[in-house]
Amino acid sequence: MIPNLSEIFSLTAPEIVIAVTLILVVLVDLIWDKNKVPAMFTAALGLIVAGVVILNGMPETGMIPNNYMVVSDKLGLYFKFIIVLTTLFILLFTYDSKEIIESHLRQGEYYALVYGMVLGMFFLTSAVDLILIYIALELLSLSSYVLAGFSDKETRNSEAAVKYLIYGAISSAFMLFGISLIYGLTGTTNLYGVNEVLSTTVVNIYTLGFAVILIIAGIGYKISAVPFHFWTPDVYEGSPITITAYLSVASKAAGFALLIRFVSITFIDHVKADGEWILNGAFDWQTILIVLALLTMTVGNLSALWQKNIKRLLAYSSVAHAGYILLGVAVLTNLGLVSVMIYFAVYMMMNLGAFYVVMLVANKTGSEHISQFDGIGYTMPYAGVALTIFLVSLTGLPPTAGFIGKLYLFLALLDSNMLMVAFIALLNTVISLYYYVRILKHMYLKNVAEMPEKIETRGYSTVVLSLLVVPVLFFGIYWTPLIDFAKYCVEFVIK
Amino acid sequence: MLHVGLHHFLVVSSILFSLGLYAIVTRKNAILVLMGVELVLNAANINFVAFARYGDFGASGQLNALFVIVLAAAEAAIALAIVINLYKHFSHVNIDEADNLKE
Amino acid sequence: MNLYDIIFYIFAAITVVSGVITVTSKNIIYAAFSLLFTFFGVAGMYVLLGADFISIVQIIVYVGGILILLLFGVMLTNKVTSTDIKSGSVNVLPAVIGVALFAGALISIIIRTKWTETPGEIPLSTAGTLGSVLLNEYVIIFELLAVLLLIALIGAASIARRTKEETN
Repeated sequence: MIPNLSEIFSLTAPEIVIAVTLILVVLVDLIWDKNKVPAMFTAALGLIVAGVVILNGMPETGMIPNNYMVVSDKLGLYFKFIIVLTTLFILLFTYDSKEIIESHLRQGEYYALVYGMVLGMFFLTSAVDLILIYIALELLSLSSYVLAGFSDKETRNSEAAVKYLIYGAISSAFMLFGISLIYGLTGTTNLYGVNEVLSTTVVNIYTLGFAVILIIAGIGYKISAVPFHFWTPDVYEGSPITITAYLSVASKAAGFALLIRFVSITFIDHVKADGEWILNGAFDWQTILIVLALLTMTVGNLSALWQKNIKRLLAYSSVAHAGYILLGVAVLTNLGLVSVMIYFAVYMMMNLGAFYVVMLVANKTGSEHISQFDGIGYTMPYAGVALTIFLVSLTGLPPTAGFIGKLYLFLALLDSNMLMVAFIALLNTVISLYYYVRILKHMYLKNVAEMPEKIETRGYSTVVLSLLVVPVLFFGIYWTPLIDFAKYCVEFVIK
Repeated sequence: MLHVGLHHFLVVSSILFSLGLYAIVTRKNAILVLMGVELVLNAANINFVAFARYGDFGASGQLNALFVIVLAAAEAAIALAIVINLYKHFSHVNIDEADNLKE
Repeated sequence: MNLYDIIFYIFAAITVVSGVITVTSKNIIYAAFSLLFTFFGVAGMYVLLGADFISIVQIIVYVGGILILLLFGVMLTNKVTSTDIKSGSVNVLPAVIGVALFAGALISIIIRTKWTETPGEIPLSTAGTLGSVLLNEYVIIFELLAVLLLIALIGAASIARRTKEETN
């Protein structure tokens, strides 16, 4: 059944805003081809409009048209909102980024490509058709390949782009083969249709398992879950910092929204009254997800211990965080879903903040090596304090928002009686403390003998940094609004 | 067995998939790896069209194949631009040897 | 064994043999040209499956577009006259064994799976049906693909323009 035109418009309103703005950005860039400020303002304005449209659409109950490829529900809108916020912050970062500003003439393309990513991610959060998912994933990937190699001052940019491209092309091709097998087994690419067939007929478990593993490889690549993470450190180190931050937050948000939708629609039988998801037994999801999650966080944390480049260290730390979030998905309850959403909001603020400080330091020193951070706590006092807060939050200690994220995650685990898993996750948190503290040690305990000379920070940077520091502290102390918002958005629709 | 049916097409596509996998595993040249990826995409396309034909799933299978072809073209354009860009920096396109990004 | 079967086996042989050459050839030009025959073989499969439109698109886009792009890539990144055109491959024997085992496993599970087999009539022409379904059920994907092609254009142009800036 095809919805009529007005229904399609209300289903995809945020996407339409983004697509129209994408065209506008290209046009504005052509009209003012020397001055790049109008293009940037158009981009920012489009995002604000999209944000308003998203918040406006929230109170309405979800629209799930029968057998159509797009749905509109609060879960998708929540992730879209996170993506919009992240993109706005990235635009603010870009204004301050040496790497991007130096490629002056090509800035218009930069905004257009970022918009391409946003459109791909928006569709990933709301698509329920495997072929639409594949195309949205490719749109996201193609834009991010180019952005990863956007600035051309150093060879490492083009190297990052090629590595991202090759591994991305491979994983998405595998995912497509998996989709084709699912299509053969069920006769449809619609997730609800697949769910219906899987719960009424018995299909060959090996073929289904193989297809699902291929699809998980495609999604796992986007969220950089072990063992599909090997591109992460290289690409994160080689890309411009704004893009690294963007990939580590927004692209992961879209990947997780997709994973949640894929698991929760395709393999679910019903949701019990207490919020536990009952799977239809076609496939043992929980074990696979838990193993993936534990592997991801352990490998990420252990590899981060030895890193000397801060971008690389944060790359492994973001792999580890993907593990924690994956654990929230793996408990397969509504409480787990709430914890994932809270964790993501928090992760967005603290991870963006950490990357922003790294960018400020790299702007001054031209490198992200850990030794460049020696004495930063004295030469750039505000950035130092901010980074300290973000790192404490990334570790998950009070009184920061990171503590709330971890707290709800562990509550969800304990609620499902996964004591052993919670214990391993706790051990991982302790390991992560070591490498985060190592950065702090460089910032405050090295080079303190000489009289520190203050490095000027622009007022603009201070304001942007405050926009991230304040919420991290605020939600660490008063977290009720965040929790309420997440709970409000977990609207679970099973037909 | 001799009479051609769905399984015959699926066997061909499985072989193409395995060949693509082989190229991905063994090749070092970025363009040759991309050729392996094209083989995998073609294998998936044969699957789509064959399933739609023998399962009578309607036009969706052929359309999926069409979308994949469009995507493959867009991806090839971007991929070649990026690979040639790498070549300018390193004077080779072997992904193993582009390893500045290591500790 | 009727004519249909014979044609199928011919196309299957073309596809598989040239596919093997593509992935094993030491010479990158040979690999690219045998990929051409693989694409032709796959186009033949589509005809046998009653997908005439897809088959034509396969030839126009894959052979006329993607393959030419790949060849350009090969020519631009290897000086054709030099012997540099050889492309190394690693750990051939373990890879052959591993992939052969994988292929055997894949084929055996695919043969044992019970797929839905209720073939309908092959329509005389598919283009009309495809067009109307494309602009009805799949209109979102159609629009999304348009944006995707725009992004691909911008992206490729952006990379090319960068090198112009460099030389200036």
